[in-house]
Amino acid sequence: MHNVAGPPPVSRFLFPRWTNLVLPLILIVGATAPIYMAFVVAYGLSPKTLDVGYQPTQPVPYSHALHVGELGLDCRYCHNTVESSPQASVPPTQTCMNCHTQIRKESLKLEPVRASYESGMPIEWTRVNKVGDYAYFDHSAHVNRGVSCVECHGRVDQMEVVQRAAPLSMGWCLECHRDPIDRIRPVSEVFNLGWDAAASLTDADRDALVRQYHLNPSENCSTCHR
Amino acid sequence: MQTPPTCQSKAETTSASVAPKGKTLWRSVAEFEGTPEFAALVQREFPEGADTASHEERRQFIRVMGASFALAGLAITGCRRWPEQKIAPYASRPATRMPGQAVRYATCVEIDGVGTPILAKSLDGRPIKVDGNGSVAGATGGTSAGVQGTVLDLYDPDRLRVVLHEGHESSVPEFQAFAANEIGRLRGTQGAGLAFLLEPTASPSRVAMRQAIAKSFPKASMHEWTPRHGDAERAGTAAAFGSAKRPFLKLDEAKIVVAFDADVLMDGADAPRVTAAWASTRRVNGEGAAHQELSRLYSFESRLSVTGMNADERVAMRSSEIANVVAEFAKRLGVDGGDLNVRNALAGLGSGAKLDSHAEAVLAAAVKDVQAAKGKCAVVAGPAQPAAVHALVALVNERIGAAGRTVTYAPATGPSSCVDSIAALTAALNAGSIETLVICGANPAYDAPPELAFGDAMAKAKHVVRLAEKLDETGALTSCHWSIPAAHSLECWGDSVAADGTILLQQPLILPLIEPNAGGLSEIELLAMLADEKATTRAGYDVVREVHAKRVASSGSAFEASWRAALESGAMGSSYSTSAPTVNAGAVASMALSHKAATGQGIELVLFTDSKVLAGRWSNNAWLQELPDAVTKVTWDNTLNLAPATAKSMGVRHGSVVTVTVDGRSVDAAVFVLPGHAEGSASLALGYGRGAVAGRIADGAGCDSFSLREGGADLQAATFQPTGRTYPIANTQDKGIAEAIMPEVPLQGIQDRLPTLVREGTLEEYRLHPDFAKHRTHVVHRLSLWEESNLDGAQFRWAMSVDLNTCTGCSACVTACQSENNIPVVGKSMVLRGREMSWIRLDRYFKGSDPSSPVDYRIQPVACQHCENAPCEQVCPVAATVHDKDGLNVMVYNRCIGTRYCSNNCPYKVRRFNFFDYNAKRPEREEGFLKTDLGYYERYYTLNRDEGPDLFRQMQFNPDVTVRSRGVMEKCTFCTQRIQEAKIDFKNRWAQKGGEKAGTANFSIPDGAIVTACQQACPAGAIVFGDLNDANSQVAKLFSQGRSYQMLEELNTKTRLRYLAKVTNPALPREDDPHAGHDHSHDGHDHETHA
Repeated sequence: MHNVAGPPPVSRFLFPRWTNLVLPLILIVGATAPIYMAFVVAYGLSPKTLDVGYQPTQPVPYSHALHVGELGLDCRYCHNTVESSPQASVPPTQTCMNCHTQIRKESLKLEPVRASYESGMPIEWTRVNKVGDYAYFDHSAHVNRGVSCVECHGRVDQMEVVQRAAPLSMGWCLECHRDPIDRIRPVSEVFNLGWDAAASLTDADRDALVRQYHLNPSENCSTCHR
Repeated sequence: MQTPPTCQSKAETTSASVAPKGKTLWRSVAEFEGTPEFAALVQREFPEGADTASHEERRQFIRVMGASFALAGLAITGCRRWPEQKIAPYASRPATRMPGQAVRYATCVEIDGVGTPILAKSLDGRPIKVDGNGSVAGATGGTSAGVQGTVLDLYDPDRLRVVLHEGHESSVPEFQAFAANEIGRLRGTQGAGLAFLLEPTASPSRVAMRQAIAKSFPKASMHEWTPRHGDAERAGTAAAFGSAKRPFLKLDEAKIVVAFDADVLMDGADAPRVTAAWASTRRVNGEGAAHQELSRLYSFESRLSVTGMNADERVAMRSSEIANVVAEFAKRLGVDGGDLNVRNALAGLGSGAKLDSHAEAVLAAAVKDVQAAKGKCAVVAGPAQPAAVHALVALVNERIGAAGRTVTYAPATGPSSCVDSIAALTAALNAGSIETLVICGANPAYDAPPELAFGDAMAKAKHVVRLAEKLDETGALTSCHWSIPAAHSLECWGDSVAADGTILLQQPLILPLIEPNAGGLSEIELLAMLADEKATTRAGYDVVREVHAKRVASSGSAFEASWRAALESGAMGSSYSTSAPTVNAGAVASMALSHKAATGQGIELVLFTDSKVLAGRWSNNAWLQELPDAVTKVTWDNTLNLAPATAKSMGVRHGSVVTVTVDGRSVDAAVFVLPGHAEGSASLALGYGRGAVAGRIADGAGCDSFSLREGGADLQAATFQPTGRTYPIANTQDKGIAEAIMPEVPLQGIQDRLPTLVREGTLEEYRLHPDFAKHRTHVVHRLSLWEESNLDGAQFRWAMSVDLNTCTGCSACVTACQSENNIPVVGKSMVLRGREMSWIRLDRYFKGSDPSSPVDYRIQPVACQHCENAPCEQVCPVAATVHDKDGLNVMVYNRCIGTRYCSNNCPYKVRRFNFFDYNAKRPEREEGFLKTDLGYYERYYTLNRDEGPDLFRQMQFNPDVTVRSRGVMEKCTFCTQRIQEAKIDFKNRWAQKGGEKAGTANFSIPDGAIVTACQQACPAGAIVFGDLNDANSQVAKLFSQGRSYQMLEELNTKTRLRYLAKVTNPALPREDDPHAGHDHSHDGHDHETHA
């Protein structure tokens, strides 16, 4: 009777055993994907990704590396309002021509400068560093109290073409406003971009600087938003 | 609506003894009478349609929102960098110019022949703000709202920007060719057939050019016209002194001021200076006997004016009856000096005085006061009064000893009569004797006496040349052949003379914002061109320089030095000094005798210059159109103001349209029922009803009252015919007020509270109890529901004090704030919905138990109170409004998501919400749920809907203040941008000296270094801002005064804006004074803490 033909023994399971892994996998992927996506989006949209490194082509191939790094011009020779005005100011054509009426008078690269000087029309530079329209940054308030250009603009003295060195986002500003001690230096060294603050200042020096300039950067909204 | 649980504090904060018996302070007749409409308005926190959507609309809304979320998703996927921006530096930067740093130029603006010295602020080449130049001797730093608004006029999108010749675009060279030809011809005839129509001016250079024209064309006829002509004053003073004069008031010396139909605190270019002088006599600070004195102001007037609202005693009477009262006043003062002619004249005219018991009492008190003041008093008459009154007032001032002391006289500018002058011109035109007519500035087709029909007469001239800023009523006529764009006063060289005779220089801040080759000429330049044989142009600069070099008779380096100094200071010597010539009493007497008393029994019509747009000069200025009128609080319109009884007798109500007819010419005007207006009188402002030709702002605002101004006279016999129609009047007073926070509180509750909001006491009370204001309410609770902000250790504690005693309600602060803080204009339809954006509102209250004749009027400016314990901050879900360390309640626009919870929770109702992107994009939707009809808006902000916002308008924006977008709440910031600027400036200077090493622990800001925009504009000096941490600061001293109080102190908000209570100086006892029965036995309560 054992040989009675019957239906072959059928497994209770329609799916093979390995499929047991699928559901947990789906769950894991399903659970992590939004988090992953959030990270991707956050990274992709962060000012750091979007803005740092922005390096537009300028109408005149002016090299900070040459003028500042090699020839040793001071930042303030051109950006002469930086200590007394909110704006550092892009220099007028006149400033270029102070030297270039004598030096490289024929250079093709300087053609737009000469044209501007003759016509009186401005050279249109493309803006590299910018904070939101609702935020008000004041250069003079920073450089007069030991915050160097390099903290926001990077080693401009080494840049052939100026690029954005920092995100200039609110979070980034607040990093320093909450704890400025690592980013200050004597006012005399503010425009010396290559100065090694880490090696030259002791903690005691820094404390003394904070006291000297009564550095207590405000985190109030009204400090930057008006 | 549910009734909120009654909290104990409410019962306790209003004690029975404070509660008045009836209504004492109220804002309109509707409120006083408790009409159902008003009750409904009060019950609703926001006006109809301001915040609701119907069921259908809600569904639609969700659909729209769904769509916009989908769009938002798309936008994120296409993320991008900031839009590329260009930096355009100077090719050659002027030596002292610093990009981003404002430069202020001392210049001037001339209004009705009187110069006002101003400081114009220019930022990166754009003029963005105008303020008074207080450094000019005799001037005040305060301004009027109109002067504040001149900067917006510069960017008026409707300015004429091309030369038009017979409707076609032309150019200045083409005009010159025409002029050279024409001038050659006219030189041959010595100018016969040539006429000029000019505006009266005090400007030495303009006068010099007019003389040059007269010299070149001896037979040319010169005419002058302005609607604010002051002919009666000229005629009256000419009779009294032999030559026409303009009174110059020195009210700081006056203890008693009597104004007869004169709005000395508001009307005219000189009003800010007069206000400053008057305010100096109204300031009490409780220290020493000298500071316990107040001047007293009497006002007899028909319409309710700012002067009337600030008067200690006011009599409302028909303007035509005031002449008799002036005579009676003079008679009682005994000014005849034994001269029988004068005595008879005064007796004759004075016998006609109709004085009711109140008027009699006020007049008697005025006479007594003037006699006691011994020359420290001043009497003034207004422009609507006849020449006889001006002559009488001159006589009175001389006899009471005021002349030479409080009232001196300056030579009047202009012809003996502007009305005669333009009538003569019209007659000559009609006679065909004028071939060529040159008009500079004047707009006779709009504002000349209507019976002259100037437009028709002008058509008879062969050539009409007109220099004007706009292609207005006159320029739009086909008979106006040449229209040349005029330069704005901030665009050209010029000069003027201030009321006291100081010569002011006018310098340009910017090249004319006009097409190249299209002129942008000043009157000086045009006349110089026409006076020249070959019609060659001369730069205004050269002309002005030459005129002044000739005047001071110096040359070379001496002149150069004084010229440079004058450009820096704004003033260059003096043209005249005011004096007090002897009055010819006989001439005054005969003038008074010949004055015919008014006989009309009907309702008389008073036409007056509008306090905002003048007689049409600023009709197309959106700031001034939206500025609530100082008295009625009406925006965007002029209204026919009637006393409640007159309105009743006419059978009309607030908002009814009435046809006003004068000699067959009629105009439809909307009725504003104005308590305190004289009965039997109706008043209507000039300067409205202009139509599209005057510009997109002026279009549709109000009715044209000039067509009723027969003979250029301010008083008209008119008939009034109700039409049965109604008209929406957008006034800002009946809504958005403190009671809105608790609509369930019955009106009596509001009545209980109002006297605690606007606190006042009489001078006697103040002398007895300098801190009377502290006892107007009982503050019981000092416990907070939430954790209070911790402001310990702050370096500064900014605060503001507003003196209710000197604030006149002139509203200059409102426009100054709008100019400084980029506050948008929203248009009439939005104001009707209660969406006006002004950060300062001036609450106006009527006081008294009779709605037809209020006893007093109260003004209270209300801006953000910067509560230390701010209710708004507690309800913001995103912390968009928070405190900074210095105690400012700051609004972070980029955080705000627009829930408007803060506004709901603000007890002062000072927060404003951007329902639309008023400042940048086209705000309205053409269909669907968001459909809005902003008619005017499109006209104002977008020249062309495809081109985006108006670039001219954008140029005025203050770059130091964020331009807010749609969906963002905003409010007064105490001018945080000015605070930051000062802080950075002073800290930089301190740091540059070496910081702490130099010996000072921290930087400091001297008192007065920070001035808010409203404070700067306030002519009365009623607003003081400063640091409470500095015990010697002005604001700290004012806060410690007895008069200082907080509004709604019982809410424990700890405001940083405090008021100085009003101290009144009535001559007559007031009935029904709510405080009369309130003694000071409750002192113990006041500062007690029920913890």
